Amino acid sequence: MSEQNTPTPTPGVTPTDSPKIGDDGDPILRIEGITKQFGGITALDGVDLTVDPGITGLIGPNGAGKTTLFNCLTGFHKPDDGRVHLYETDITGKEPPAIAQQGMVRTFQIPRELADMTVFENLLLAPMNQHGERLRGAWIRGDQFVEEEQVIRDRAREIAVFFEIDHLLDEPAGSLSGGQRKLLEIARALLTDPDIVLLDEPLAGVNPTLEQKILGRIEALVEDGYSFLLIEHDIDLIMDNCERVVVMHQGAVLTTGAPEAVQSDERVIEAYLGGDDV
Amino acid sequence: MAVADFIISLLTFIAIYSLFGIGLNLKFGFTGLIDFGHVAYFMIGAYVTVVLTMPAGAAGYSGIGGFALPELFGVLGPIGSLFGWLLGVLGGMIAAALVSLAVGVPTLRLREDYLAITALGIATILTTVVNDEEWLFNGPFGINTVHAPLRDVFPLSLGSFTLNMAVFGILSLAAFGLTGYWLARAFRRQGRRGKLVLGVLVPLVAVWYFVLPTLSDGMVELTRNTLWLFDPTAGPKGGMDYDRFVLLLSVAALGGGYWLVERTINSPYGRVLRAIREDEDVPRALGKETFQYKLQALMLGSALAGAAGALWAINIGFIAPDQFAATITFYAFTAVIVGGTANNKGVILGTAFFWGIRNGTRFIDVPSQYSIQLAASRLMLIGVVLILILYYRPEGLLGEQDYDIPLPSRDSSGGTDDV
Repeated sequence: MSEQNTPTPTPGVTPTDSPKIGDDGDPILRIEGITKQFGGITALDGVDLTVDPGITGLIGPNGAGKTTLFNCLTGFHKPDDGRVHLYETDITGKEPPAIAQQGMVRTFQIPRELADMTVFENLLLAPMNQHGERLRGAWIRGDQFVEEEQVIRDRAREIAVFFEIDHLLDEPAGSLSGGQRKLLEIARALLTDPDIVLLDEPLAGVNPTLEQKILGRIEALVEDGYSFLLIEHDIDLIMDNCERVVVMHQGAVLTTGAPEAVQSDERVIEAYLGGDDV
Repeated sequence: MAVADFIISLLTFIAIYSLFGIGLNLKFGFTGLIDFGHVAYFMIGAYVTVVLTMPAGAAGYSGIGGFALPELFGVLGPIGSLFGWLLGVLGGMIAAALVSLAVGVPTLRLREDYLAITALGIATILTTVVNDEEWLFNGPFGINTVHAPLRDVFPLSLGSFTLNMAVFGILSLAAFGLTGYWLARAFRRQGRRGKLVLGVLVPLVAVWYFVLPTLSDGMVELTRNTLWLFDPTAGPKGGMDYDRFVLLLSVAALGGGYWLVERTINSPYGRVLRAIREDEDVPRALGKETFQYKLQALMLGSALAGAAGALWAINIGFIAPDQFAATITFYAFTAVIVGGTANNKGVILGTAFFWGIRNGTRFIDVPSQYSIQLAASRLMLIGVVLILILYYRPEGLLGEQDYDIPLPSRDSSGGTDDV
């Protein structure tokens, strides 16, 4: 978790002063026995999983529990049982803001842009612990306020250029196209300067050109030290772009491993890839 | 009654209710909290201020207090006395904020429609308690010993009749000048339809205010309407009477509240508030402790309602529980929605519209057998306008305001930093 209290936070696009992953190879997330029930339905049934730095794909048939797992990890649902560690910190059952502050942010399956606010404002909202976000800071504005707001605006513009939505900054976010909304969501999540971003179907319903663009962006960000856990239904995309793949089925992890290994796993073929047809 | 006197009482009303509405706008317009119990904080502000400022042992009062703060500081002269009253207002605002804190902690976790209903229920309970518990604030008999700040200074006279007329006259004209300047600016910014509305309304009001009274009552009336701050009947030398002072006080309070809310929303803090209004999960996912923000917005909005309550008490000179019926909250909602939700100027416009129709039509001469119908048709007219606005212009007359966090321009980058 990077230091958030400095007046000039790390630029979202090119993190320089915040080492995203301290020690090579240490898992970012350790998930142990997460269980979640809704009434009589067991959505998650003892999920065990470690997420390493880099880009990890999470696949599984509809109803496998992928989004529920995201919700449990980010605090939007409280798991009934099990533990989640982000690096060394136990974040089980914490509220979403606290988990985001710890360095794990998420996007939503259906983009949730703040429709009546401009694209620029959507982005400016994201950086954490802004001085002017406190009442006193908003009322009594010193040099720090001005300096910080300027840095944040620069970062927001920078990341908007990166995601090629900079020409839309003054538009209400509600007027964006579906693909642009997905880009805005990812850009907004990145501006919080996270360690890991959970992307819930960032490519669903996105045309192939834009899809490649988003993937290219994600890969560039992985180079910069960000990590991603990515839910996706398009197997080919996952196989081509992820370093590791996690397959979920009926609320539990079926298997994890390198794309090639997962692809040839009998159980995966049975559960997800189409049984005998493949 | 001269037209000027009527206008002064109407404007005082509008200023107080605008302050009340701006508090509601912070909750509802900018943060998305539907507080149907807003009037409770108006009542608490009024009662606590009155009790803190009125003398102990007032005749006919058997509740808590009074604490006579202005008397306490009155040894320092009128300024000390005014300071004592301001402390009382501060106490009223803090009390309103604290009660809203107590209401907010359990209710703000509810979804918005439940919050609305719960807030309405709690406000009703609070009004009922004030009404039923006589030991508290004298119950249904109310309080008629409201301390009026600087009352003995008025009518304010500066010396001779001529001097009074000159000084207050110049100030009156300056106020007209400012209004004209402001109108001209507003006029320029409006689109074609706005220009049409302003272009019809402004001359109509001007004719009604300046020309019509002159036709019936001559030059004296014209002078009184033009030099509105100067009251020739206030004392032997004329001067400024207390009603005009209360108007200025209310406008100053409105200005302060307006500035504070503008400052609050045009900031990173305000961005979070509006994000909460749009979709609370988003700021939560981005690491904002939204519950704190909602609580603070509720408390701040309630404190402003409390300040409005303190002014209301002076303006009326008497407070009782039945003045704080739930309808006051809904009047304010109507004003906010008509003028423009999440637009502070819109709130003032909406409040002016609402109370203009509600009180401004009292002087329409109708045969007495129709006066009840007229009274009822006022609210009907407001209802019709509300429906038309919700149907054709749901964002209100002015729509949501623009936001800007002004930053000093930098030499290095030429671009503007408008948000």
